[in-house]
Amino acid sequence: MGVLTEEIKQRGLEVLSSHGNSKLLTHLNSCVHCGLCSNSCVYYKVDADEHYVPAKKVDIVASIYRRYNTFLGKTLPKLTNARDLDETSIDELVDLLFGSCTMCGRCTLHCSIGVDIGYVVRKGREMLSAMGYVPKTLQATVDAAIETGNNMSISTEEFVDTLKWLEDDLQYELDDENANIPLNEKSKNVMYTLNPREPKFFPLSISAMAKVFYAAKESWTLSTEMYDVTNYAFFSGNMDEANIIAQRMDTEMKNLDATKCVLAECGHGSRAYKWEGPNYLGRKLPYEVTTSVELLAQYIRDGRIKLDPERLSEVVTLHDPCNLARSGGVIEEQRYILSHVTKNFVEMTPHGVDNFCCGGGGGQLAMSEYNERRMKIAKVKADQIKSTGASIVATPCHNCVDQLTQIDQHYKLGVKIMTLAELVADALVLDEEKK
Amino acid sequence: MFWYHWMMIVSLAISMLACLAHIIKLIRLGKPIDYSQKAGDISSAIKYSFTKAMSPAKKESAYLHLPTYTAGIIYHLGTFLSIFLFFMIILDLHELLNTVLDIVIIGFLALSTISGIGILIKRLSKKTLKALSNPDDYISNILVNLYQLATAYVLFDSSAIVIYTMITSALLLYLPLGKLKHAFYFFAARYHLGYFYGWRNVWPISNHKN
Ligand code: SF4
Ligand code: SF4
Repeated sequence: MGVLTEEIKQRGLEVLSSHGNSKLLTHLNSCVHCGLCSNSCVYYKVDADEHYVPAKKVDIVASIYRRYNTFLGKTLPKLTNARDLDETSIDELVDLLFGSCTMCGRCTLHCSIGVDIGYVVRKGREMLSAMGYVPKTLQATVDAAIETGNNMSISTEEFVDTLKWLEDDLQYELDDENANIPLNEKSKNVMYTLNPREPKFFPLSISAMAKVFYAAKESWTLSTEMYDVTNYAFFSGNMDEANIIAQRMDTEMKNLDATKCVLAECGHGSRAYKWEGPNYLGRKLPYEVTTSVELLAQYIRDGRIKLDPERLSEVVTLHDPCNLARSGGVIEEQRYILSHVTKNFVEMTPHGVDNFCCGGGGGQLAMSEYNERRMKIAKVKADQIKSTGASIVATPCHNCVDQLTQIDQHYKLGVKIMTLAELVADALVLDEEKK
Repeated sequence: MFWYHWMMIVSLAISMLACLAHIIKLIRLGKPIDYSQKAGDISSAIKYSFTKAMSPAKKESAYLHLPTYTAGIIYHLGTFLSIFLFFMIILDLHELLNTVLDIVIIGFLALSTISGIGILIKRLSKKTLKALSNPDDYISNILVNLYQLATAYVLFDSSAIVIYTMITSALLLYLPLGKLKHAFYFFAARYHLGYFYGWRNVWPISNHKN
């Protein structure tokens, strides 16, 4: 990182002092330092160090706000621990906001006041981003998306090749040459998106969804121009870059003239486009944006696909991605889907809105410098999984799949991690003629 | 009216104006504009935010920390009671309280002050909490403890009015500056949470959702 000049500092301070509404001002002034949020955070649960108390993450941002924006902070800074924005506080900010928080928002629900801790952390990251202090690893992921169109820098040729062999396999499996993975087709009902982890590491989840679309007789397409559902700028706090990524999705929806944008199983990706995207763009989107979880549930509800819950004999549990459930309101749909693919479902404790983060959120998977910490906090999730006795962990998020796979190896759980599309595809009952 | 009455009234006026300035700023800034497609019922979520979401059964900050939570509730009730009595005192209505009621109130205020002191001791002795605290936290706690104690004392012995007005004035003047301003920011925080979770259909939580 470069030298902290006065101009750079001002750019950071501007993030905290410019208020378009009262939300930030409210949450910066509400914490009473009761410390009762500590046990709600996975970081503190595995390492009861004062550093990991959620309020500590709020306080470091609020202390800088106080120093430059409040009477006591300006005149008697020691009284409220109002801190200067300098190299020392920036080092602490980076470690606390990027390295010690997944922005899962669980602490917010349990805060005695109602401080939106995840939101303050996000604003703190915005401040660091404005000054150029985003960890290089995370920034590299954002740069890859900006420069190549997807965060894994997959070339279009490689992407198309992968889809081609997936399509061949699908046609072979279904014995139907009309079982397609359509590319860049115009005026379809659905423009489907992917997490680039799918073409790169988990291509079978693409064929699983393609098989479901086939069974549902959906009119759909993928785009080779913009298929990446992720938006890591949401984690880095760079609003301009978040806007560029969201803008690309919007442009591609218009180019392909699709009716509905369906966001793949990706917690932060669905949040970043469905909920934050319109705000990055500063306007309402003229088409429907939905998640594949909601779409799958709708197919079942409408009878467009039939599933056999008897096929799967193993015990299944569910990990709710924080951004999809707690911050996205998709809570019942995944349970509804699972009730149609298995008769052996068991909930984690806690679950749903109150679920613990797997530890891979907030961009942690991209920041290798915090790997050790990430696997350490994952113990909470490992213990949750273990106590369910399940052998399959379903989760509608490819980032969570990645983290849960690593948890499985690290904590020797011996479980299989699956997306909902994969479970649904396995349970599909196809028409007689299509078997 | 004596000088100390005037001191308290002037402090009250300054405090209220400063608090009002905070509140007006919040109201003028308003709520965030959200361009995403609203999925839930915001009014129900805001109602939920102030009611069920605050219930001890829903919050780890309550059910994992029952002694502190209980002490906090008693402490806050003691503060509300003291504020009520403050208005009775400045309006010279406290003479209406009979001896039995006086004793009950004094007893409760003693209990709430003990709760406040307990919270202070916890802050001083628990490592994580101490690391989170700054002088403002201690000042705020001590001022409120003294205020409750002074309220009890003035009910017991009306000649303590001078000390009561001095402590009350100090508290009033400090209120809009330090963390005590959570007295009104609390409402804004719960409103924003309700708005956010309501917009996205996370709150109100139905039984199925959790
Ligand atoms: S948002 Fe999640 S990770 Fe961050 S402090 Fe809160 S509970 Fe911990
Ligand atoms: S529970 Fe809320 S008010 Fe208390 S310390 Fe944590 S963030 Fe602050």
